[in-house]
Amino acid sequence: MTRRRTLVASTMMLGLLAGCSGTLPPLPDPVPAATDLVPDDPSPQVPDGVDDLTTDGSAAVRSMAVRIRNVQCDGLSTGSGFALDEHTLLTNKHVVADSSEIQLSTYDGRDVAVEGASSARIADLAVIRTTEALPSYPKLALSDPAPGDTVTVVGYPEGGRLTITQGEVVGTTKDPLNSTLGEVLVTDAEVEPGSSGSAALDDDGNVIGVVYAKTASDQSLLVPVSTVQALLEDDGAFAPVASCS
Amino acid sequence: MSLPPSLPPNESLSTSSVSAPATGRGGARRGWVVATWLLLATLLLVSALAAYLWVTTARWQESSAGWEADARELGQQVAQLDESLTGATAELEQARGQLTTAQDRITELADEKAQLGDENVVSQQYLDYQERVSDAAGTVATALDRCIDAQAQLIGYLEDRDSYDPDDLDRFADDVDDLCQSATDANAQLQTELTE
Repeated sequence: MTRRRTLVASTMMLGLLAGCSGTLPPLPDPVPAATDLVPDDPSPQVPDGVDDLTTDGSAAVRSMAVRIRNVQCDGLSTGSGFALDEHTLLTNKHVVADSSEIQLSTYDGRDVAVEGASSARIADLAVIRTTEALPSYPKLALSDPAPGDTVTVVGYPEGGRLTITQGEVVGTTKDPLNSTLGEVLVTDAEVEPGSSGSAALDDDGNVIGVVYAKTASDQSLLVPVSTVQALLEDDGAFAPVASCS
Repeated sequence: MSLPPSLPPNESLSTSSVSAPATGRGGARRGWVVATWLLLATLLLVSALAAYLWVTTARWQESSAGWEADARELGQQVAQLDESLTGATAELEQARGQLTTAQDRITELADEKAQLGDENVVSQQYLDYQERVSDAAGTVATALDRCIDAQAQLIGYLEDRDSYDPDDLDRFADDVDDLCQSATDANAQLQTELTE
């Protein structure tokens, strides 16, 4: 009986050891150098403000706005405009009317040579072609804004320094000046003479309209982007501007 | 010969009981040998296991120490980078302030340039106007001079009226009147322009 117990005990112990060996802790992997623990790829997170270092984020907005000087045969007037592409500006028809020469300058004082100008037949819009490339240009919004949407107007009121004003879309109305067919937008963004031709932008920086007038109640009137797009797609919508001379 | 007497039943039993213990001692010895080997194998296995565990523990201790060293080094780097980031952020803010100031100055200068351009255009237009006025004034002065000369000439003719045909004198006087009227009208127009 003793012999048998010894055998059983020994066998059990071996079995226990064999069982233990199946759950033995492995040896650790070599410890990498601290430098190997740092990922080679740079962090995809870009710090805030790197894309646009200006505190108000308006560098792109500023660079697309252009001051227009309309040298007439017996006087001078100023207006605003904005780039549609590298060599095309959009402004108002009345800004470039009766001119002997049109002169452009950017927000940083650079002069831009003009190749020619055309004005729309059924809206207070005009297109100016430039021989030099314009610094930047916004995109046109895909649809007209809704009442209550924020609007930002960038232009040169009174022919002065570049000014950015904000407001909201109030609604739509028939053009009181009868210069533009269809409905026009009404906003409470502040504009002044000289703001004509300014771009009106939405929160994403897309053009939602072009300022062309101011009401007696200090509201601004815009040619809506839907009209702008329709006219730009129509090759016959614009005719060369007649010179005053 | 007679057969030997058979053993009594008790003796037969004792014979068989004597041979059986010899076989049991050999098996027990084998059992002890096997048990001993088993115990020896167990001991060896336990010893090997203990050695393995000792080595493993030492290695894990070394690994832990290595990871801790790495963590401390990386922590120090993070602290340095954090300090650098703080400095860079401050510099960025400063650069933003300078950029805003520069941007405002650029806009201001652009505006001054635009205003000067406007003034130049207006001045040029005024100069052109002055030039046109001067030209007109010169033309008017010339016309008035011619009027005066013609009138002086007419006076001379009239003083010597008998030497000339009356019809020619009348025609000449009419021409002088037309010339002087044109000069007067031009002068009046110029004066009107100047007073506007």
